[in-house]
Amino acid sequence: MNSVLIANRGEIAVRIIRTCKKLGLNTIAIFSEADKDAYYTKIADHAVCIGPAKAEKSYLNIDGIIAVAKVYDVSAIHPGIGFLSENSNFQRACEKAGIIFIGPDAKSMDLLGDKAKARQLMIDNNIPVPQGSDGEINDYKEAKALADKIGYPVIIKASHGGGGGGIRIVHEKEKFKSEFMLVKKEAKAAFGSDSVYIEQYLTKTRHIEVQILADGHDNVLHFGTRECSMQRKNQKLVEEAPAPFIPDEIRHDMQMCAVKIAKIAGYKNAGTVEFLLTDDNKFYFMEMNTRIQVEHPVTEAVYGIDLIKCQLQVALNHKFALTQNDINANGHAIECRINAENPEKNFAPSPGKIKSMQLPGGFGVRVDSGYICKDKISPFYDSMVLKVICHGQDRDEAIMSSYQALSELDIQGIDINSDFAQAILMHKDFKNGNVHTKWIETILCAEIFD
Amino acid sequence: MKLFNENIDKSKNNIKELKKPEFLTCQECDKEILKELVHSNLSTCVYCGYLFRVPAKKRIEMIADENTFVEIGKGKASTDPLQFPEYDEKLKKAKKATGLKEAIVCGTCKIGGYNTGLAVMDSYFMMGSMGQMVGEKITDLAEVCLEKQLPLIIFCASGGARMQEGIVSLLQMSRTTVAINKLNDAGLLYVTVLTNPTTGGVTASFAMQGDIILAEPKALIGFAGPRVIKQTVKDDLPEEFQTAEYLLEKGMIDKIVERKDLRNSLAHILSLH
Repeated sequence: MNSVLIANRGEIAVRIIRTCKKLGLNTIAIFSEADKDAYYTKIADHAVCIGPAKAEKSYLNIDGIIAVAKVYDVSAIHPGIGFLSENSNFQRACEKAGIIFIGPDAKSMDLLGDKAKARQLMIDNNIPVPQGSDGEINDYKEAKALADKIGYPVIIKASHGGGGGGIRIVHEKEKFKSEFMLVKKEAKAAFGSDSVYIEQYLTKTRHIEVQILADGHDNVLHFGTRECSMQRKNQKLVEEAPAPFIPDEIRHDMQMCAVKIAKIAGYKNAGTVEFLLTDDNKFYFMEMNTRIQVEHPVTEAVYGIDLIKCQLQVALNHKFALTQNDINANGHAIECRINAENPEKNFAPSPGKIKSMQLPGGFGVRVDSGYICKDKISPFYDSMVLKVICHGQDRDEAIMSSYQALSELDIQGIDINSDFAQAILMHKDFKNGNVHTKWIETILCAEIFD
Repeated sequence: MKLFNENIDKSKNNIKELKKPEFLTCQECDKEILKELVHSNLSTCVYCGYLFRVPAKKRIEMIADENTFVEIGKGKASTDPLQFPEYDEKLKKAKKATGLKEAIVCGTCKIGGYNTGLAVMDSYFMMGSMGQMVGEKITDLAEVCLEKQLPLIIFCASGGARMQEGIVSLLQMSRTTVAINKLNDAGLLYVTVLTNPTTGGVTASFAMQGDIILAEPKALIGFAGPRVIKQTVKDDLPEEFQTAEYLLEKGMIDKIVERKDLRNSLAHILSLH
């Protein structure tokens, strides 16, 4: 592996470039016109403008990215997060071009990326899933009959959805038809397929996920759990590792279940299995993300590993030298996503130029930023500016360290949500684990803004 | 304890010296774009949609069903019939730049599953000028189509007759016209696609003989250059003079087809035939 093309932008591009460079690899960045002066283009060895700001003409342009990769004689492509990272056509295009794709193969991507098929696979292998359809269900009458049988609320999900999109919750049976048709229409527009499935909507659940890494030699390791319940409109704001307030036995079962799922799917490289955990400690498979996740740094902090480096090594077919018993967690880590938005104005996005930037530091404090001072946050892509990751010997220390770090964080020129993140950290519910995936929207926002 | 025993060994990294990447400038929006990026996007500007000239091999990839194109007359190259000064040098340069021996690639293929003859001119080879061998290759292909009862599609892109071959070039106009007439007499379909630019002797011969004449948007299509015409008629020319849109309006061509739709359009035409 001589050189890696990073088929992504922003913070994750910086992240990947940094690891590649420390390993002595040549790095090629691609950027759209909107990212012309972005920080990651300056630290890469080569940077090529791939097209206009619109993602489908730039970061989603498979043929264009492969063409650039060939010009620069690239050995491997890291797809990053979002964009083409879970696109099996992209994986196949890389393979056809003789370029290593740093991620799983197309087959397991297709299997797990189709959420309805993944659900069916879990059912066939006795992995717990919420009550719902056996795989996809596209006939409205059939879907309605099933929803009536399960009982409301039900959740309708796009089979090829992701990133929190293509999801509708139906509380009343009278609204089922319109919502069902709407999800199908939205799914077709956003994901190219109107295939959907339905599940019982479990309320007051926690989003717990397990990081796995498979070396492609039939070895799958897990790197513990992450709690990702701090979400607003299905977008994560605060994540932590390990997931707190889970009985050891349940934690163990979830972790083993994740490993089993990776093996069933013939998975290779890094991935995350997402579960829903109810307040009576029952867990259900939600979906598996076949890529590295935004919140991967909390796992890195606790396990002392560079997951991007692991991805590169797995892509080179390196075999694990350790077994699960050799993997030990140490301490607790919390990540706060700092977005360019104003929580007080209903979280309105705040694109603009960063006039000044003061970042926190210190022992156990890590900042992963896609931007530096004078950079512009454009309105074309997601609003995340940076992540602040704090590690402590225990959860309380990690919380205090995060709070302190956010106090030091100062960015002028755009609005950011750091105060809101602090409000999460200091809330008694967060401290005591009395949270669920709708807690921010139903409890915290009501307290702060009403 | 290390997760992997192996390392990513820096000493084994063999970063080759890269050839300096080539950039093209879009004539419409002035932006500089990596050449391969242009050609990966149907040879179209990724910013404004301007249609760059398409190399013949690239066009064949865009149009023919995968792995169906069988080339005819690959080795045919100009013999420099008039021993024209510096022509040899120009030919060497063109061959090196395009990887072709002449300004046209001819063969048979399938399009949408239908068998057809396909010839694609390459304007990167001496501006797609028609000399002896371009005429000969077209004639040879027409004869193959006649023998095998195949339709023929020609993508035209030319600055006209090749000056360095003088009267021999002009002769190709009548030679190709006769060959196409024979196809017509046999009731075989002949389709031309006029691309930017299609001018001179090519326009005055086989390019405008199509049973169906398609064109790419904004293609320059004409015989004589606008300056000569203006001097001759002693009048101003309309703004869109010699564009595909102008010719469509005047009934000289049948349809303008977007580049991305050409394959499907040709497949459809072949299916009707």
